[in-house]
Amino acid sequence: MAEPAHRIIEQPTADKGTKPAPLILLVDDDEITRLSMAGRLKRLGYRVIEAGDGVAGLNVIRAQRPDLVILDWMMPGMDGPGVCEAIRADPELKSSQVVLMTAHDRPEQIAEGLSRGADDFLSKAASKQEVLARVQASLRSSALVREIERTRDDLDRSHRLLSAKQAELESELQSASDFVRAQLPLPGMPARGLTMQWAYQPSLALGGDLFQAIPWGSETLGLYILDASGHGVAAALRAVELMSFLREENLAKAVGSFDPGAIITEANRRFPLTQDGEYFTLWVGRLHLPSRTLFYATAGHSGAFLHAADRESQWLASASLPLGFDPDITFESASAKLRLRDRVYLLSDGIYEAPSPTGELWGRDRLQATLEGNCNHTLAHCISETMAAAKHWLSGDIFPDDVALLGVEVLDDLASEKETL
Amino acid sequence: MQITERRIGQSVILDLAGELTYANRAIFKAAVERSRRGGCRHVIVNLHGVRFLDSSALGTLALLAQSLSAAQIMVSLLNPQSYVKEIITLANLHQILPVYDSEQDALAGGHRLPATG
Repeated sequence: MAEPAHRIIEQPTADKGTKPAPLILLVDDDEITRLSMAGRLKRLGYRVIEAGDGVAGLNVIRAQRPDLVILDWMMPGMDGPGVCEAIRADPELKSSQVVLMTAHDRPEQIAEGLSRGADDFLSKAASKQEVLARVQASLRSSALVREIERTRDDLDRSHRLLSAKQAELESELQSASDFVRAQLPLPGMPARGLTMQWAYQPSLALGGDLFQAIPWGSETLGLYILDASGHGVAAALRAVELMSFLREENLAKAVGSFDPGAIITEANRRFPLTQDGEYFTLWVGRLHLPSRTLFYATAGHSGAFLHAADRESQWLASASLPLGFDPDITFESASAKLRLRDRVYLLSDGIYEAPSPTGELWGRDRLQATLEGNCNHTLAHCISETMAAAKHWLSGDIFPDDVALLGVEVLDDLASEKETL
Repeated sequence: MQITERRIGQSVILDLAGELTYANRAIFKAAVERSRRGGCRHVIVNLHGVRFLDSSALGTLALLAQSLSAAQIMVSLLNPQSYVKEIITLANLHQILPVYDSEQDALAGGHRLPATG
């Protein structure tokens, strides 16, 4: 009578709360040898599955994932080493623990078995003690491999969860970044007779440098650039808060004028140092369009640069404390006259503090020279070239600090009839 | 950054070495807090060994000046070098924190505190 391809000799009856005995697959075409070895293993307390040939053995391994596979070397069809090779070639099975059983244990045979995928050898003539010792050693290895596999699977699951969370956070950061960018002015003509262009590159997805060029009343263009200390989400949120303060309707209500000194004085009172010592630097300008007079004030900000078309250029800044350093001080406005083709650049310190690979900063002088050297090109080209020059100095595309560069150029003689020379 | 603390009379001199930045401001604040709890009247921040100061460190120094002033404790800066000195000047920090070139002058500045405090 033909025997089944495999059968379980001993079905474990694990006690409640205890681990079932290890499961061993025994593959041997010789029924007597197989029964004998299975009996010995059973008496040692293991659960045993039998298979009569290599193919049946592989099917059992796939179906039951035994803790240990004991293979006879010599079998018709697929022999023991052949089964080993099939196991190692299968990604699902390759970590199985396999012991080859032989009648002989010649060194060359052992070498061949190991090279074809066996983990250990067991002589058919082995004593009970040796069988127990080898099986226990192999099961220890098997348990370790299973533990590593479980850990790997846990890590894979954790990695997938983290990746999903990371993608979610990046998506939210992108939304926040889009929101912040939406607060920035549209390049073009912010007022009659003026053109404006800018470049903005935060060091992270969100930056703490923001700027604006926007009408404050019918005859005035408001200009400002602010820098929230720190980077990232917290700095961006604080920057947007200050930007809200600088909205036209809020300034009319909270400050009562558009004088830059008065605006910064009030901002200094309303934006103290945070508990972590975070603060703003701020440059505010108010360009009176009929007289083309630019009034400005600064709170610790590196300021703006006036590139004059037909006279000496100047930096529109003064030594002053950042917002919140001294809540009792008053900030004063200064002024400068603009002429046709003059350009005013608002910029963050991140651009001229771009370090070279050796650590040398690009510096204000090089920045100024680049802006002046491109004065005969369009404003957009000049800003683009200046950013490129800073990146060239940096030898990279990512600035270590937020970088903003906004330029406004006087195109027309706005109100010569009103200008008193 | 490394910080060494020296007590001289009612003053504590914090000798800083390395970079004072956002990353290590907690260490710096902890050292100042130890000095405050130790009952000193004058914290002297020795910047001679500081190579770099970022914007966050400026805020930390300004915050300390405000909070310690409220506790009648003076804060002074000592001997900033080249780039750090330039940053302090640009940020106008010397308006709210006295800057000394010598330890003797800094200690003398602290001695004047009780008379004016």
